[in-house]
Amino acid sequence: MSQQISVRIDNELYTATEGRTILQVAADNGRSIPTLCYLEGLSAPGSCRLCLVEVAGVGRLLPACTTPARSGMSVTTNSDALAHNRLMALELLFIERNHVCSVCVSNGHCELQSMAQRLGMTHVHLPYNFPRLPVDVSHPRFVLDHNRCILCSRCVRVCDEIEGAQVWDISARGINSMLVAELDRPWGEAQSCTSCGKCVQVCPTGALVEKGQAVEEMTKRNRIVTDLAVKRGART
Amino acid sequence: MPSPPLQLASGLDHEFVDNVLGKQQGRPGALLAILQQVQNHHPRKYLPLETLEYIGARTRIPLARIYSVATFFALFNLEPQGRNTISVCRGTACHTRGSRDLFVKLLMYYGFRTEGDAETDQLVVTTADGNMTLRTVACFGQCALAPVIEVNHAIFGHMNEPTLQRELDALAQQEPRI
Repeated sequence: MSQQISVRIDNELYTATEGRTILQVAADNGRSIPTLCYLEGLSAPGSCRLCLVEVAGVGRLLPACTTPARSGMSVTTNSDALAHNRLMALELLFIERNHVCSVCVSNGHCELQSMAQRLGMTHVHLPYNFPRLPVDVSHPRFVLDHNRCILCSRCVRVCDEIEGAQVWDISARGINSMLVAELDRPWGEAQSCTSCGKCVQVCPTGALVEKGQAVEEMTKRNRIVTDLAVKRGART
Repeated sequence: MPSPPLQLASGLDHEFVDNVLGKQQGRPGALLAILQQVQNHHPRKYLPLETLEYIGARTRIPLARIYSVATFFALFNLEPQGRNTISVCRGTACHTRGSRDLFVKLLMYYGFRTEGDAETDQLVVTTADGNMTLRTVACFGQCALAPVIEVNHAIFGHMNEPTLQRELDALAQQEPRI
């Protein structure tokens, strides 16, 4: 029997089950913390750094998606410093690749775009990278556009943890990181791909989309993946 | 476990890879050791894609994971390496003591284009005849000796153009080296 603990989030006292993360406890109580790489039903890599929160007595910011809530913890999810941090993390995502909403199939249904609106991002403070990146259209049903990828690794995790095909991974390091199918093959030639499309549905941006969609037409249904994970008894 | 009839790139023998796999199988973090030993065994010190595919088929490690590991670590090469290697340190100390000029000189000496390339953080280039590999290194940890250049695993500190030229001439004397 798991123990009940009490946690203070933004000066409100909540009761939670031990082992739940700060993000989950907040969500259970109707409090939303900004996230990009996190998706309910998948493991949390804590890589986008948007869910960073302040925990009283801890000298650094902690990602809410990977930090378990502890009894007596006092968490701040919103402050000027946090807002500044989140905006910085988001701006760095925008400058890294070529995010042009006006010509994107996911315009209007994009988590990156929505996050920019939610956090009030009006412009970026650093020059854009404008990297030359390929678009992989080798798969009969789907497209991978590296220009719009934010390397959140949701596709990697859903393919590994839910589908079990393990087609995707992130290659190289730092600014050179790229999503790869198998040994950097064209997606259409990846033998292990089952064409289930889960990676497409969980992709927060227009990086993974269905073919035949025009600007603003690509809506994602990442809920089906969460529901599937819950049905199978994944930790949520 | 099924052993698919995969072609190994020339210079790498099935038996050796199978042997390594047998020894490492099941150990945590086995992939790193496998890749390292297989690469060292190859005469050109690299991991051909066919070999990675073979390792994947035998160990059931996803190919994407193997590729991810092989590209994450600078230790692993996916391209054939030259018979000789010169590494130029591009750390801060060496940079301030002129390591970029030395690297550009090397690139020019071996006939590589220098614009743009010399600015890249990490660069590995091999001459078409497979004789020389030039690479940049983040830091040798010998900052007091800056700028540092490594020629075939021998470290040279306080490098300057005349000394570098002397080493290049010495290398040219030894050729052809196997």
